[in-house]
Amino acid sequence: MIGRKSKVFIFLYLIFLVVLFLMCSTDLIIREPEKEIYKVAVIIEDVRDDNYGNFRKGMDQAAIELNADVRFITLYEEKPNAEGQMELIDREGQDGVDGLIVAPVDERRMTEALQENRVTLPAVILGTEPVKETETGSITIDYREMGRGLAEKIKERAPEGSTVLLVEGACKISGAESGFLTGAAEVLEENGYRCNFERPESEETYREMLEGLPEQGCVLVAGSPETLTEIAGFLEEDAEGCDRIAGVYGRGNTPSILNDLDSGLITGLCVTDEFSRGYFSVLMAVKELEKAGDTKSMVMDSYYIEKKDLREPKYEKMLFPVE
Amino acid sequence: MRKCYFLWNKRRKGLWPAALCLAAACLFLTACSGPAEEEEKKSIRIGVSLYRGDDTFINNIRSELEANAKKYEQEKGIKVTLDIQDAKGSQNTQNSQVERFISLGCDVLCINPVDRMDASVIIDKAMTAEVPVVFFNRQPVEEDMNRWDKLYYIGVDAKETAVLQGQMVVDFYKKQPSEIDLNGDGVVNYVLLEGESSHQDSLIRTEWSIKTLKNGGVPIEKITGGIANWERSQASALMEQWLGEYPDTIELVVSNNDDMALGAIDALERAGVSGVNVVGTDGTIPGIEAVESGKLLGTVSANKEIYGSAMLEIAASCALGEALPEEYPLMDGTYYWPPQEILMRPEKD
Repeated sequence: MIGRKSKVFIFLYLIFLVVLFLMCSTDLIIREPEKEIYKVAVIIEDVRDDNYGNFRKGMDQAAIELNADVRFITLYEEKPNAEGQMELIDREGQDGVDGLIVAPVDERRMTEALQENRVTLPAVILGTEPVKETETGSITIDYREMGRGLAEKIKERAPEGSTVLLVEGACKISGAESGFLTGAAEVLEENGYRCNFERPESEETYREMLEGLPEQGCVLVAGSPETLTEIAGFLEEDAEGCDRIAGVYGRGNTPSILNDLDSGLITGLCVTDEFSRGYFSVLMAVKELEKAGDTKSMVMDSYYIEKKDLREPKYEKMLFPVE
Repeated sequence: MRKCYFLWNKRRKGLWPAALCLAAACLFLTACSGPAEEEEKKSIRIGVSLYRGDDTFINNIRSELEANAKKYEQEKGIKVTLDIQDAKGSQNTQNSQVERFISLGCDVLCINPVDRMDASVIIDKAMTAEVPVVFFNRQPVEEDMNRWDKLYYIGVDAKETAVLQGQMVVDFYKKQPSEIDLNGDGVVNYVLLEGESSHQDSLIRTEWSIKTLKNGGVPIEKITGGIANWERSQASALMEQWLGEYPDTIELVVSNNDDMALGAIDALERAGVSGVNVVGTDGTIPGIEAVESGKLLGTVSANKEIYGSAMLEIAASCALGEALPEEYPLMDGTYYWPPQEILMRPEKD
C-alpha cells in the first residue's frame, strides 16, 4: 500500500514533470524573444553574377549572422536597362520584401526615384556617390579616384610619352567605367602620355585594335572587368600582340581575371574588398530596418595589386575569402 | 427524486471535462484549417546546394538552372527565387544548408549531394518538413531514393556516357589508326584519369569506356592510371609525373571528365609533347572550346539546356503541387536521364 506521504510526493513529482515539460517545449512559461527575420532583396545591374562572387559570400555570411532572408536577383535583359530594374524593384516590393540593396543600372534615375519617393522601401545603394536628400544608405566606390591611382602606377612603369589605349565596353558605358577611365586619363594626360579612347564592338574590331597598335610599348587600360577579360583572352591567343604591349591594366577580381594576373597576361589591377561590401550592405540594410544604424554612407577603399601581391596574406584574404 | 438529482449532478460533473476537451478540439481544428479555398501560388522558392561551387560542370548546370528560372518567370508569370549555396565538399555544411532552406520556407530542394552514400540526413529533414527533393549529378543509393515518393534524381546515364566516349575513339581509330597508334606498333598505349572513387559515375565510366574500346577492336594496353578527383590541377600533376616515367610511350589519355582531360593537356603542353590524343566527357564550356580548337579529341556532352530545364520544371511542379511535366519522363517515377551527344574536333584537311 502506498502511504499518504508517498501519494503527495508522486503527485508533486508529476506536477513538477508537467511544469518542466511546459518550460522546455512550449512558450507558456518562458517566452523566447521573437527574432524578426528581415527579407532583403539584392538587385544588381547585370544579367550575370560573375563580378559578384566574393560579394555574395559576404552577403551570405551577414545573412546567417543577422538572421536575414536575402534574395539575390539579376536582370532579365542581355542589355540591362533601368526600366527593367525598376520593374524588379516594384515586383519585390509587392512580394513583401522589407528592404532593398540595389546596384543601379542608371544611378541618376535611381536617385530621382528615391528622391521622388517612387521607391518607398528602405534601400542601400551600391553606386559611385551617396544618394543626396534622402535617408537612403549607400556603399560607394570612387572609381575616378581608383583610375587616378592606377595612372600613378602606370607612370612608374611606362615611359613618358607612351600611348595609352583606354578601352570601353561595347554596351552602354556605366558610371563606374567612365569614372575609372576618365580618372586615369586625367593623370596620364597631365604627365605627357597620349591617351586614346577605344570602343571595339565585336571580336573583329578587337582584333583590328590589337593588331593595329600604334607602336611598341603601348599600354592598355580596360574600363570594366568584362573588357579586361576579353583583352586577356585575345592576348592569350596572340603572342605577337603581347610583345607590342607594355602593360595591360584594369579593375575587377573575378577568378578568371586573377588567373590572368597570375599568368602574366594582366600587369596590374585595381581591386576592392567585395566580401566586405557584401557583408556591410546587408548589415546596413538590417540596421536601417531596425532603425538602429547611424552610418548612412560608406566609401570602399581600392587597392592596386600586381602578380607578386596575390600571395600576400592581406590580399589573399581579401581576394579569396573563406566563409 | 433526490437520487435522480444526484445522478444528474454526477453526470454533469463528468460532462465538464468532456465539454472542455471538445472545445479544445474545436479550437485546435479551427487553428489548423486554412482558408476555405487555397490561393493560387504566385511565387516559389527553391533551395539549391552544390557539392562544390568551383566544379566546372556543376557551374554550367547552375547557370542553366538560373537561365531557366528567368525563362519560367517570364513565361508562367510565377516568381522563382533560387537560393544557391556552395557546400564546399562538406556534408555537414550541406546538412546545415538544407536546415536553413527549410526554415526559410523553401518549397522544394535541389541537392547535389556531397556524399551520395549519406543522403539520408537530408531526406529525413525534407520528409519531416514535407519538402520534396530533386537530387542531381550525384545519385543517392537506391535504398534512400525508395524511402519517399517525393524524391527525384536527375543525372546523365554514366554507362551511356562511357559507351559514347569509347565509341568515339573506336570510330576515330577505324578511320585514322595512325593518328592514335603513334608509333605504329599495332598497340594503343593509354593512361586513365579517374574521378572520385566514391562517385558512381567514375567507376561506371571507367569500366564501360574501356570495355567499348576493347569490343570495338582497338588494340589497347593500359600503361597506368590514377584518381584525380575530377580536378584539372590534380590531373595535370599526375600527367606530368607519367610523362616523366613513361617518355614517348603514352598515345591516348582517357579521362572521366573534361576538367581532368584539360589538366592532361596542360601537362602535355608544358612538356612540349604533341600528338597525344585526349578524350573527356561532360561537354563543359572549356571542354567544348578545347574540342573546337583541336586540343581535345572529343567529349561526350550532356545536353545542359535540357538538364537545367528538367531540373527547374520538375522542381517547380513539385513546389506548386502540380503533376510532373510529361516532356521529362521519369524512370520508375524517380529518375530522369538527360540526353547526351558526341562532340569531336574538326577533321584535319
